Amino acid sequence: MLWIALYFPALSLDWVERRFPEALIPAIGVTVRKGNQICIQQANKPAQARGVMEGQPLASALAVFPDLVIMEQDSHEEGKALQQAVYAALRFTPNIAIQNSGLIAEVSGSLKLFGGLKKLCQSLNRVVTAQGLQLSAGIAPTATGAWLLARSASSGTVINGKGEEFRILLDALPVGFLESAQPHLEVIRGIGCKTLADLQRLPRSGVARRFGQNLPAELDRAYGDAPDPQKWFEAPEDFQQKMKMMGLIENAGLLLVPAQRMVEQMCGWLALRHAAVSAFSFVLHHEYSLRQPHKFTSINIHLSEQSSDPAHLMLLLREHLERTKIVAPVCELELTADEIAAGADGNLELFPTMQSETTSLNRFIEKFSSRLGPEAITGLKVVSDHRPEYSQRLELSGRGALNRFSKRGRNSQIIPPESPRPAWLMEIPLELKVQRGRPVYESPLKLLAGPERIEAGWWNDDAIARDYFIAENDQGQLLWIYREHNPVEKDKGNKDGNWYLQGLFG
Amino acid sequence: MPLSLSQIEARFRNRIWRGDAWGAAADPVISSGFQGLDKELPGGGWSTRNLTELLLPTEGLGEIRLLSYALEEMTRSERNILLVAPPYIPYMHAWEHLGIDGRHIVMVRVYKPAERLWALEQGIRSAAFGTIIGWLPEASQQAMRKLQILSRSAASLVFLFRPARARFEPSAAPLRILLSPVRGHSHALSLYLLKRRGAPFVLPIRIPLPQAAVFSRSAELKPALIPSYC
Repeated sequence: MLWIALYFPALSLDWVERRFPEALIPAIGVTVRKGNQICIQQANKPAQARGVMEGQPLASALAVFPDLVIMEQDSHEEGKALQQAVYAALRFTPNIAIQNSGLIAEVSGSLKLFGGLKKLCQSLNRVVTAQGLQLSAGIAPTATGAWLLARSASSGTVINGKGEEFRILLDALPVGFLESAQPHLEVIRGIGCKTLADLQRLPRSGVARRFGQNLPAELDRAYGDAPDPQKWFEAPEDFQQKMKMMGLIENAGLLLVPAQRMVEQMCGWLALRHAAVSAFSFVLHHEYSLRQPHKFTSINIHLSEQSSDPAHLMLLLREHLERTKIVAPVCELELTADEIAAGADGNLELFPTMQSETTSLNRFIEKFSSRLGPEAITGLKVVSDHRPEYSQRLELSGRGALNRFSKRGRNSQIIPPESPRPAWLMEIPLELKVQRGRPVYESPLKLLAGPERIEAGWWNDDAIARDYFIAENDQGQLLWIYREHNPVEKDKGNKDGNWYLQGLFG
Repeated sequence: MPLSLSQIEARFRNRIWRGDAWGAAADPVISSGFQGLDKELPGGGWSTRNLTELLLPTEGLGEIRLLSYALEEMTRSERNILLVAPPYIPYMHAWEHLGIDGRHIVMVRVYKPAERLWALEQGIRSAAFGTIIGWLPEASQQAMRKLQILSRSAASLVFLFRPARARFEPSAAPLRILLSPVRGHSHALSLYLLKRRGAPFVLPIRIPLPQAAVFSRSAELKPALIPSYC
């Protein structure tokens, strides 16, 4: 067993701070009630810079800096922040237990997949730090040991207690980190016990009699002399996260950081369920007032292929967000995984294969249509019809593109190769001028081949009767032109129809 | 001891290129399908990991048929082709006759120069395409350089169709070819290699376009009525 514990020393401050857009963080102090006095429990950097100190009574803090933003410590909110950190960390291991102000993850099964302990620890720290939490980390063969090491590490550092080092590191830890020692700290210090090693040297029966059974039991769990079962975090059936913002946000760019955090959480949740998302929605809740009737803006994103890759999902969300007009200030964000499909992303392949090429095509299409609109990217499908205008169809991509682009059958009903067709078609046939009986495009045209009669479409209202020719002009362009053939008008003496340019032989 | 010139050349063979020598490109190539052209292209075919600039005075000279062998080869190995901002609608019946599998063609219709460039960049970056063909009437030198740098890391063919007047602008593309029709001969195309890695080549290469037979046969076609039900 190998454990990584993450301890969040500034949790009660972090959950407040991270709901502000980064550039707008004010001086914040989190207060806690001690007896009948309210004290500053934690103060952020701007507050400390103005002279607010942790542990200070609230009254004196306000005397030093009257504009201090005060938040009461809220263990419910802290619990939510912890839960979100766990969601994000679930991407790396399913075995995570929530501690009082941190989490412990069992990672021995994940080492290989994520490239070794060092890399795994870095990724885990990065992902949880990206959730807006400061942390210190400890690595150890026991859960309690890892937790103690994490608590003793200074913010932003990792103590690696793997192997031989572990007992030495643990021995040196002050007694004060032990949870069960808290009520007896003064007595323990009084008898000259400073470190865990000192405590270990005392006769166990005496320790148990004086300080309760819990203390030696906790020590045993930490050193690995007793089993240390953990209660794993259990993810709910559905994924829906809300995040209340402090202050009103009118700029979509400022929503990206919280959106990124929520997407990371969703991906962790997906990893635990061995699932991927095929549709998700991001809702911007607006401040409600009589003057502005918009309650929320909903961004619904459908993927052509399920994905659980946070980078890809974030990219789609960002493109959609950039195209969304924010009609009113946003006060709350909500992310919901609407449709879940079993199975995660494809394998991590070294060389591109058919599968990965299809995946990247789908991603390309998604990226493209979310930026320029779904009509900007199309496939072309051959349709069996002799009228050139109807003989192919532009296929919109978008949802289900995978099926259309890669699985559709090749159409065998194409026009036989005896009749040459140009590589390019004009959007609408261009009427040509006629000089001395010859059609003109840039220069008078020389007819090379034809005519080929195409008469079709009488079954619906768009009937055509045309004589097609291949023509060449002085520039060397090979053109596909036609003359309308109208037997009815022929009778009236109007023998020749107009000339049209329909295509070019590219 | 300082190295002699021949020692230096022997030692840094991969990194030194002599102006009179042929550009021996280490990049994989795909045959153009035309012997005369392959002979003059560095590496013996269309080079992947590089921009190829095709300059043409006007569309409809046989530019798709020029690429058709390579495109056919691409789709046969199930790789996709991206068309960025083609000037007209590709007529799939014709492309299919050239052996190109239309299922593998993705067309992007964008009109603003910035969007064209973005689309090209994304296409080159994406692993989804074996070939990227873009129509780029205007492009700054920086844009061309950026596309070339991107192409270096992509294992795909990248063709840019640009107007003939762009021949006077400097370009980062290592291969630039000017296409022009052969007078009075609609089944051939003449190619001037304006720029290539290696010794310059001044004479135009004349290549016969595929499906000439179809055209000559159609010249004998009698007026025929194609019944609408077939």
